[in-house]
Amino acid sequence: MFALSELENDALIEIFNIGVGQAASSMSAIVNEAVHMSVPSVSFINRAEAARLLDGKSAEPAGAICGVSQHYEGAFSTEAILMFPEDKSLEIVRLMVGEAVSQKELTEMEQEAMCEIGNIILNSCVGTLANIFQRELQGSLPQYHVGTSDEILIASGSLADTVVLMLHIDFLLEKHQIHGYVAFVLDISALHDLKEQINLYIARAMGQA
Amino acid sequence: MMSRLPDAHRLHLLHSVLCAVNLGAIVLDGDRRVVLWNAWMIKHSGLGHDKVIGADFFSVCPGLRGGRVESAIQQALYNNFPSLLSQTLNKAPFALYASPVAAARNERIQQAVEVTPIAVEGAARHCLIQINDVSIAVGREKLLREQAMVLRTQTFADGLTGIANRRHFDVAIEKEHRRAKRGGTPLSLLMIDIDHFKAYNDHYGHQKGDQCLIQVAAALAAMLKRPCDLMARYGGEEFAMILPETDVEQATLMAEAIRARTQELAIPHERNHDAAQQVTVSIGIATQKVDAPADIEALIGAADRALYLAKRNGRNRTEALLPC
Repeated sequence: MFALSELENDALIEIFNIGVGQAASSMSAIVNEAVHMSVPSVSFINRAEAARLLDGKSAEPAGAICGVSQHYEGAFSTEAILMFPEDKSLEIVRLMVGEAVSQKELTEMEQEAMCEIGNIILNSCVGTLANIFQRELQGSLPQYHVGTSDEILIASGSLADTVVLMLHIDFLLEKHQIHGYVAFVLDISALHDLKEQINLYIARAMGQA
Repeated sequence: MMSRLPDAHRLHLLHSVLCAVNLGAIVLDGDRRVVLWNAWMIKHSGLGHDKVIGADFFSVCPGLRGGRVESAIQQALYNNFPSLLSQTLNKAPFALYASPVAAARNERIQQAVEVTPIAVEGAARHCLIQINDVSIAVGREKLLREQAMVLRTQTFADGLTGIANRRHFDVAIEKEHRRAKRGGTPLSLLMIDIDHFKAYNDHYGHQKGDQCLIQVAAALAAMLKRPCDLMARYGGEEFAMILPETDVEQATLMAEAIRARTQELAIPHERNHDAAQQVTVSIGIATQKVDAPADIEALIGAADRALYLAKRNGRNRTEALLPC
């Protein structure tokens, strides 16, 4: 399995934290309230493992996952997917909108709001990725999905052993802490490219390049 | 598909299509100058080509400077990323109206906006702003939400008195607290307790006790004039009143009015220490000030302590405290 050294891993976490920090400030501006987001860890796992991680460790059948995906291509191509358990996505949207509605599913307008939230987070994360690659990428508009984690990850057209770069995202709004994930489905050449670019980033950060 | 058409003809056709589509389309060049503004935009903005083409976008739409639309344009022009601005999180950013009548009433079209980068050969990247009219969908959801609210109020009513129950209070205080914080408005909470109610029950029996609760609840709830005010049965003989956009002076006036109204009911209460031997209430007032937002627990705690103070200071009176 593809792996990063501890230093590379820390550098990548730092990079993504810059990205989600920008996303959090955009979201704060929308709701006029403090929104905090952080990426406590990243991991490289295959798609099947990613699905298991999303479904949680409990033996109970997992609830639906809500996802917002965008396709990016250019120097490399990736499918970026923001995922939350469906009940958490309801919580986020309703916290952002500031309304309490009792429906168990997101309405059409709320799905669109969720897409906007995903769009902000994904653009920030991919923007920082593109930044370290020092390349430009182009992206599609966000799409909303509900289903099992596997269904959402399969929608990207990847194979079960495709490597997924998983970011754990902590989202804090009004005392509510919500955990979610951003998955980047990357092909193997993009992964090696990523490792190389992280090392260039580290070298630049240390003033050696 | 159009490759067989001569270039000039093709361009003309593309232009006509863009003008005919039933959504707003604006194209900006790399310097954020308007290069395309379709017929839909002219119709709903009231701004013709002479006013917009070639002009700086933010001088045409100054209200959009510094907001989400500007950051979406930046994302498209400089980072090559598309953005989506939902109606729910962005309340109608563009000044667009369905008709002159709607414009006079300042009722904007409900909008869902997409901003996408456009690569242009031999020039800096442009961007396309698409604006969809989602007014119908918004109206539909509003109706749905209202129906859900009606259904919910049926499960949110107190079985005895018919006013809001504790569950309703919990939801409402949460909502109003957030609204006050976001809107920068004060929020007051009254805790109202019938004096010596246990003695009333013991003396007159539970049926009379229930009637007393019903009568007091109905009289006090009828004093609320604004739809955002809420009176709930908080527990036993205790009622809570949520008064949004109400400062401590206004809340005190309201509390005094409630105290006086209860006396007016002239419900006999032989076991009350009050001289008139009628049912009276004690009221605790807590107000969250605009410049010192407190959490909900602190607000309820302050109202509770103020009520305790009113009881200790002799009942049939009001006391106010600040949350801390």
